[in-house]
Amino acid sequence: MHEWTLAEAIVESLNSFVEQNGRKKVLEVEILYGEMMELDTDILSYAIEELVKGTVLEGAKFSLKEEKALFKCNACGATWDFETAHKMLSHEFGILEEPSGARESPLHFIPDLAQALLKCPRCGSRDFEAISGKGIRVARMVLGR
Amino acid sequence: MDRDILFERGRRNLSRIGRIITIAAGKGGVGKSVVAASLALTLGERGKNVGLLDLDVHGPSIPDILHARGEIVASKEGLKPLSVHGIKVMSTGMLIGDNPLPTKGEDKRNLISFLVGLTNWGNLDYLIIDLPPGTGDETIWVLRALRGLKNVGVLVVTTPSILAVSVVRRLLSMLEDEKIRVIGIVENMAYFNCEGKVYRPFGRFSEELVRRFKLRVIASLPIDPSLEQTIYDGGLPHRSSEELKSAFYRLCDVVESSWGE
Ligand SMILES: Nc1ncnc2c1ncn2[C@@H]1O[C@H](COP(=O)(O)OP(=O)(O)OP(=O)(O)O)[C@@H](O)[C@H]1O
Ligand SMILES: [Mg+2]
Ligand SMILES: [Zn+2]
Repeated sequence: MHEWTLAEAIVESLNSFVEQNGRKKVLEVEILYGEMMELDTDILSYAIEELVKGTVLEGAKFSLKEEKALFKCNACGATWDFETAHKMLSHEFGILEEPSGARESPLHFIPDLAQALLKCPRCGSRDFEAISGKGIRVARMVLGR
Repeated sequence: MDRDILFERGRRNLSRIGRIITIAAGKGGVGKSVVAASLALTLGERGKNVGLLDLDVHGPSIPDILHARGEIVASKEGLKPLSVHGIKVMSTGMLIGDNPLPTKGEDKRNLISFLVGLTNWGNLDYLIIDLPPGTGDETIWVLRALRGLKNVGVLVVTTPSILAVSVVRRLLSMLEDEKIRVIGIVENMAYFNCEGKVYRPFGRFSEELVRRFKLRVIASLPIDPSLEQTIYDGGLPHRSSEELKSAFYRLCDVVESSWGE
């Protein structure tokens, strides 16, 4: 359910940007989010829709795009995808979601914890990079007059 | 458009907190975490709403010092810090246990942005931030996030040792350049009592440095031989000895009045 918090972060950031630039209208916003965040885009879209009401962002067309995750080991050079990573995630650590009661990996909330929660599937090293698929950002925005 | 959404969110969260006290030292192992935890607990006992944010992401010791065990709960409002001993605590220790976390640079700063951006502290009078030694990514993140905020002060923890002087000097000049207010110097492990006589094995903290930066040594904390045992036995650091307890009370008085009303 941290989709709501993220939606709030996006909307607040965009609103202050648009206001700082003295604009009155936003036509389009493209959000790029990492696969590791495993976001529920229905909830995220709905939350954004609710939060933009009454702001300069109201009426803008939001599109949400997922960026695939890719990992590369600095020790042995292996690369792997999120499906492989997901299977290796230990259930030793979790964050309990309210009110659903679901228990999720902390990775889902904080993708940059990857090195603590994953190892290279080939050599077992934690010295790897998560090359893509982590954060959330505004990839594109079209402003109106 | 290049906005760091989570960093901005984290900074906004911090700007809504009453007062933020960052514990910095430059040097390792001088008692930052013990002081951070003790200050938070003492302020909590004085009726304040207190949060304690452990930003030592590689070696979080706050969960050990406070015996803060348990998983973090998430809701629509974000991650709930763990409530222990009357204060709210957030630490990577509660998210990844004792697992190593080899990360650096931008990744580490993003980790902190997510942690601070997603945490919902509720209403806080005080947030105490514990940092690792040095001036690496964690410290850089804090400097960036606190830059320009009015509700901020730094406590510099050090031992009186001659070896701490150059490290503290570097830290103080950095804080001066960044225009971040230093509340004062906390001299830890300053002395011990033996059969009525006071010994100062590390001497006194450099007066030259105190003058140069127009600061005050606002607390001299004793070496408490029972502190480790207290923590080991599940007790809390600020109550380890009467002397330490009253020293932390006096420190809180100075800290609270340093803001002026
Ligand atoms: N006043 C004191 N008397 C006795 N022991 C102390 C005192 N203050 C701290 N210690 C002990 O010194 C050790 C280091 O303390 P602490 O972990 O708080 O330091 P730190 O500066 O946070 O270290 P790090 O740089 O690793 O973060 C601990 O074992 C702690 O119990
Ligand atoms: Mg510490
Ligand atoms: Zn490998």
